Amino acid sequence: MATEGNTKLVAIVDDDDLMRGALQGLLKTIGLSARTFASAEEFLDSGDQHQTGCLIADIRMPGISGLDLQAKLNAERCRIPTIFITAHGDEKMRMQALRAGAVEFLTKPFDDNALLGIVRAALES
Amino acid sequence: MKVLSNLQRYGLALISSGLALVLAWPIDAPSSCFLLAVTVSSLFGGLGPGLLSVALSALSFEYFFLWRTFPPTHETAGFLRFLVFVIATLLITALMEIKRRVEESRTRAQEALRLAQSDLAHVNRVTTMGELTASLAHEVNQPIAAAVTDANTCLRWLTRDQPDLEEAREAASRTVKDATRAAEIVSRIRLTFTKSTPQRELVDVNEIIREMIVLLRNEASRCSISVRTELVPHLPRVIGDRVQLQQVMMNLMINAIDAMKNVEGTRELVIKSQRAEDEQLVLAVSDTGVGLPPQQADQIFNAFFTTKRHGTGMGLRISRSIVESHGGRLWAAENSPRGASFYLTLPTKLEAHE
Repeated sequence: MATEGNTKLVAIVDDDDLMRGALQGLLKTIGLSARTFASAEEFLDSGDQHQTGCLIADIRMPGISGLDLQAKLNAERCRIPTIFITAHGDEKMRMQALRAGAVEFLTKPFDDNALLGIVRAALES
Repeated sequence: MKVLSNLQRYGLALISSGLALVLAWPIDAPSSCFLLAVTVSSLFGGLGPGLLSVALSALSFEYFFLWRTFPPTHETAGFLRFLVFVIATLLITALMEIKRRVEESRTRAQEALRLAQSDLAHVNRVTTMGELTASLAHEVNQPIAAAVTDANTCLRWLTRDQPDLEEAREAASRTVKDATRAAEIVSRIRLTFTKSTPQRELVDVNEIIREMIVLLRNEASRCSISVRTELVPHLPRVIGDRVQLQQVMMNLMINAIDAMKNVEGTRELVIKSQRAEDEQLVLAVSDTGVGLPPQQADQIFNAFFTTKRHGTGMGLRISRSIVESHGGRLWAAENSPRGASFYLTLPTKLEAHE
């Protein structure tokens, strides 16, 4: 693993506390510590977006949705490799996310190996 | 009224007629005393005991009193007097029976009305929940997805070359929490679907509000609506039917969400609870949606009035009748600067209210 990758932060944005805890726990198994945020607003206000090497975000959230968050980050010229995890994303949503630069679009419940592989790849890129 | 057994009812007729005889003898007032006995028997005993009392009174009257005051020379007058007495007692028995039947049919009608209202409310609940199926499924799926992830994490810690039991234990306990949450949501949905006759219990309105928010949270976030509560803690509880009150909150919250689906700008659902005068609670559900339909604001509570494409027009109607059956009121007002607010009051001390 590239050293540069390890210094970069993984951020989790999900309004569900159980999901945040589960994702954080999963990343810990490969030695990554992640910061969690309960909303897109919280993430944008934190200023952490500039150090974030990989963003894992839910699509449906109260307030700013995952897709809107991605658009806002793009507008700030802050292109973070983003993995969307959603309960039932349709194809349209998926295409929109991927076109806007998302690296992956996973459906809950997702495959843990797949997610970890993508996170690793995102941090190394 | 307390229901008496047959033995008690006929016993009452015997005793009251007997007492009437004992009382009538010294004061020489047979008609009044026997009429009283017949009234008591038919009022509390019903038709059969009433007639028994009529028969006993007529016999006693004839045997002990009639010919004491009317010597045989006045046979016609005596007979007339007896006839009037018998007719009076029979009329009283008949009147009491009519009164009883009227009351019975009124009770039956009220019961039928109550059942019809409860059926209608149930249909509304099922319809509403049906519309929410996607959201509710998501609400259950969310903790299940977390459980799958946590269980996978647990396996990862255990299947390493050097298993980390402490980490595995943590992941396992998170899995338990996830599964518990999923079960809670399922049981809440089941409770909401359950059809039962209206109950009267002590209900914490803040708890009801929180429960409905759990069920509707996803529906709200799907429409990018933020939900905010301003609940005054430790409110006195209200006496009422939990499922019905949940239904009112659900109807109001779904209306609020629907009203905001297509508006630009802030989408906020605010739910407040507070105390009001006269030992009442006020709940308010406010949105920043399209607002009340202009010129028709007073019609929204009418049956079959709807502004939704697939609305039944029954939600607010049913909500209002539920609130009123709890001795409260439900009304709507414009919200400032945009949207609508629905207010409902509920008494915390409920007098016998049907």
